[in-house]
Amino acid sequence: MTLPGTKEKLLQLVDDVELIAKELFENIIAHKPQKLPAIEHAQLADLLVTKDQELKDMLKTASEQAEIQKKMDALQGEVDKQDQDIRTLQKHLKEAEHILATAIYQAKQKLQSIQRSNERSTPSEELIKYAHRISASNAVAAPHNWQQGDPRRPYPTDIEMRSGFLGRMSDLPLSSSSMLQQQHQGNLGDLTSRGPHGDQPPPTSHTSSFTWQGATEMKPGLSSTATHNSVNMESKGHSKENEDVEVLSTDSSSSSSSDSQ
Amino acid sequence: MSEGEVNTDFLPLIYDIIRSIERDSHDGSQKRENYDSSQKVQELKQKLQQCRDQIQKLPGIEYSREEQLKRLESLRKQLALKRELLLKYKNMCHFDIPKL
Repeated sequence: MTLPGTKEKLLQLVDDVELIAKELFENIIAHKPQKLPAIEHAQLADLLVTKDQELKDMLKTASEQAEIQKKMDALQGEVDKQDQDIRTLQKHLKEAEHILATAIYQAKQKLQSIQRSNERSTPSEELIKYAHRISASNAVAAPHNWQQGDPRRPYPTDIEMRSGFLGRMSDLPLSSSSMLQQQHQGNLGDLTSRGPHGDQPPPTSHTSSFTWQGATEMKPGLSSTATHNSVNMESKGHSKENEDVEVLSTDSSSSSSSDSQ
Repeated sequence: MSEGEVNTDFLPLIYDIIRSIERDSHDGSQKRENYDSSQKVQELKQKLQQCRDQIQKLPGIEYSREEQLKRLESLRKQLALKRELLLKYKNMCHFDIPKL
């Protein structure tokens, strides 16, 4: 339940004063039989004075309330200012949270990769050895003195491909052959794209033999642009592995000679 | 609009009117006096209406004094809480900035 406000009380008092005054006037104007007794008339007059006094007291209260209102306005202003500050701060915190969340996500990814690398750590010597091995077998670039008919090449020969896993997959039943062929081409595309020169993979609509020819045609130009380093490495790393590769290449020379036109 | 500007001096005017009416009734019907008292009644009505209008314009009297004080107190509490919240926000995170 709420108490009536001061304004309401003031207006009520003004109404009362008006009503009592009206009552007094009517009583004076009225004829004798209708007139109120003198005591009641006096009471009415007293009531009027009381109401007038109440009205004045209430106005004093109103003036105090006006002072309180001033304080409240000031407080409200301060509260609004604090609200504004809180909103600004919240906005900043939200932004900071977003930035931190991104940073944490990236850091986690980095930690994961660090963990992965720690789990399967590879010594640098091994890597260098492997690099030597790859370059020694002409797997990344043809030798600088390559010429037409030379069996050495930076990709597997036809017979090597046939003896590989993909080659054996083509012996499967015809029902899944089309799908397998797609896979086959896709894998070939991967192989060529992973090549050392960063060549674009050939379109998948081409046949596998065409892809191989394309690679063959590109080779002379590439061999001529081979860097000096790779040449040196090739000549220096003429190790045991290299010899193995060469033996393999000469084994497949009969098929590759027809392949390299 | 302040409390001091509200005119509530009704009693002298009411007394005047009563005097006029009484004089009228004693002296017989004199048109001029009759006119005078009705004019004063009109004046009283105007004064009452003016007083009502002025009361409407007074600030901070929508609520009773007690309720207003309660509201003031709640505003103070609100402000204190908000200040506290702001301080909490400001002192929430102390980052250890590594020295380079």
